[in-house]
Amino acid sequence: MSEQQRYKLHWITALIEMLKTLKEAILPLVVLVFANGFKGGGTGLWYVDYLSFLIFGVLIISLFVSGIIKWKRFEYWFEDDELRIESGLFVKKKRYIPFDRIQSLDYTEGIFHRPFGLVKVKVETAGSSNAKQAEGELTAITKAAAKRVETELAEAKKRQKGMSAEEIGMDTPLVAPMEEMPIKEESNFRKVFLMSSKDLLVLATTSGGVGVILSGAAIFLSQFGELLPFEWMFEEISSFIKFGVLIVAIAVFLGLLGVWILSVGMTLLSHYNFTVEMNEEDIVITRGLLEKKKVTVPLKRIQSVVVVENPIRKLFGYATVSIHSAGGGIGQNSKINLFPIVKRDRVLLYLEDVFPDLHLEEPANRLTAKGRPFYYRIDFLWMLPAIGALTYFFFPYGLLSLAIIPAIIALGIWQHRSAAYGIVGNQLTFRFRGISLQTAYMKKKRIQSMEMKQSYFHRRKGVATVIANIKSGMGVFHANVHHMEVEEAERIFNWYEKGGSTSDE
Amino acid sequence: MRAQPANRISPKGLKVWRLYGWIQTIILALIASGVGVLVYIFEWPFWIYPLEAVVLLLFAYFIIILFPKVRWMRWRYEVRESEIELQHGLFIVKRTLIPMVRVQHVDTSQGPILRKYGLAEISISTAATVHTIPALIMAEADELRGRISVLARVAEDDV
Repeated sequence: MSEQQRYKLHWITALIEMLKTLKEAILPLVVLVFANGFKGGGTGLWYVDYLSFLIFGVLIISLFVSGIIKWKRFEYWFEDDELRIESGLFVKKKRYIPFDRIQSLDYTEGIFHRPFGLVKVKVETAGSSNAKQAEGELTAITKAAAKRVETELAEAKKRQKGMSAEEIGMDTPLVAPMEEMPIKEESNFRKVFLMSSKDLLVLATTSGGVGVILSGAAIFLSQFGELLPFEWMFEEISSFIKFGVLIVAIAVFLGLLGVWILSVGMTLLSHYNFTVEMNEEDIVITRGLLEKKKVTVPLKRIQSVVVVENPIRKLFGYATVSIHSAGGGIGQNSKINLFPIVKRDRVLLYLEDVFPDLHLEEPANRLTAKGRPFYYRIDFLWMLPAIGALTYFFFPYGLLSLAIIPAIIALGIWQHRSAAYGIVGNQLTFRFRGISLQTAYMKKKRIQSMEMKQSYFHRRKGVATVIANIKSGMGVFHANVHHMEVEEAERIFNWYEKGGSTSDE
Repeated sequence: MRAQPANRISPKGLKVWRLYGWIQTIILALIASGVGVLVYIFEWPFWIYPLEAVVLLLFAYFIIILFPKVRWMRWRYEVRESEIELQHGLFIVKRTLIPMVRVQHVDTSQGPILRKYGLAEISISTAATVHTIPALIMAEADELRGRISVLARVAEDDV
């Protein structure tokens, strides 16, 4: 372990760091240039006229220099079963990450990495303190160097396993297992999911498409208005409104169309060649065209599996499967799309393959009619004033807002019909709908705590809302079934309570 | 029907909540008198005065007398061998069940007002959530913290 060879990052790091800082500073800069730059040479002093450009130039240069310094001062090496990182010019920052705390290495290949065969390595640890970045980040290293990190990590883990298994093990040869370990691991991976290009297209086109459809409908309606007896009502006003509505609708539609095309393009690029592989310990997700990403999720960190059925995708016969994983520290809620889009009839097949110990049958218990009114009753609180105001201010047309009442009630009834729960052994399955239908599969030992809520009206009717709290990244994922019978809620509580002390199966 | 958790929090907690209510009421009263001055200066309609008085009285009644009372009546907790159960809530009664094996750490904390009354609050953290029992007698809170941390042992792989 005494090889203290210190490694540096690739020089492209300097450029990447610079662009990263520039990206963050670009908005104030643009404001500065616009506010200052185009007043035109009134003063005659060239350095006053071009002050903003000067500032801009100085900033670029200083960013470039700081990028170079960052790269120059950054070193990493392996020592005492730790990954050690040292950086900083004036304030030296040292970060030692013990190998046994490292959960996974995530790789990203951006456009700057590709030409040089480089990769960005993110080191994810178990108890990541805060969501501030990943624990350790190697901005750009060669693939060979990345392999070295991986090998070093695998060796250390192997060594530790050996140590704990047999305390005497000091004289067992350390070298032999080192070499076979990485090779063995690699060959173990099997491909469990590959997104076809047709599926990719469906994914891209259905992502965030609702707005486009809505505004398209608005245009259609405004044309359709011709057939309605508007003139008969208020000729001048109506023509003005129609005209206004048409223009606004077209503008909104074009705007949304642009956004949509952009989002389709970005989804295509980021999800290109989406592949999921796994072995006994990890799931590895690879994706991306220009920027290639490789994310590793240890199986034992997965907290729950959620099948999401968006009504629009359901129309085409597709669903989404996502997982909640502990740690990772990516934002508040680390929900990872395991299968971003998959044919609905294949969902169970795939899931069974990846998570054989999950009970995938439909949640057996639907809700009784008792809770149904609660799904839409509360909405009248905001609907009635809103409708009242609309009717008052836009008298004839405002009445159209009454149409929202049956829509909300229908949605409520739909949500009520969709809600269900099931208990099989040590697993709780919740199904609930906002707009999309979600089915959450949760093992008892992954549920951090459970809550049961009852308002005054709930108590009178004997219904309750049940919430299961699941760890997700640094935050919580709440799986909740609203307004079920209180006896059933208590049944879930009893189930949760009983096995609470025996954590494993 | 599930039995309610056995223990209530200290009656002194009720006093503390009433005190909080008084503080909020005084702040509101200050704002109200500010408005009153404005009414006087700008000669706004006279009926604003009685309106203010009514609002202030209602606010005081709710926040000093009614809410703390209901809240205190509702607040119950129980620490058992293998789980902790809480019940609280004003309009919406919330019951929480936390298995001991999920508890990661327990803190007690105490602000100036709580300290004056010899009270402390205790927060129980799981990997994902934090649950607080407010206004326990200090000795009780410390004892509880000790007991929970003895009972709680987290299986490492689970998070």
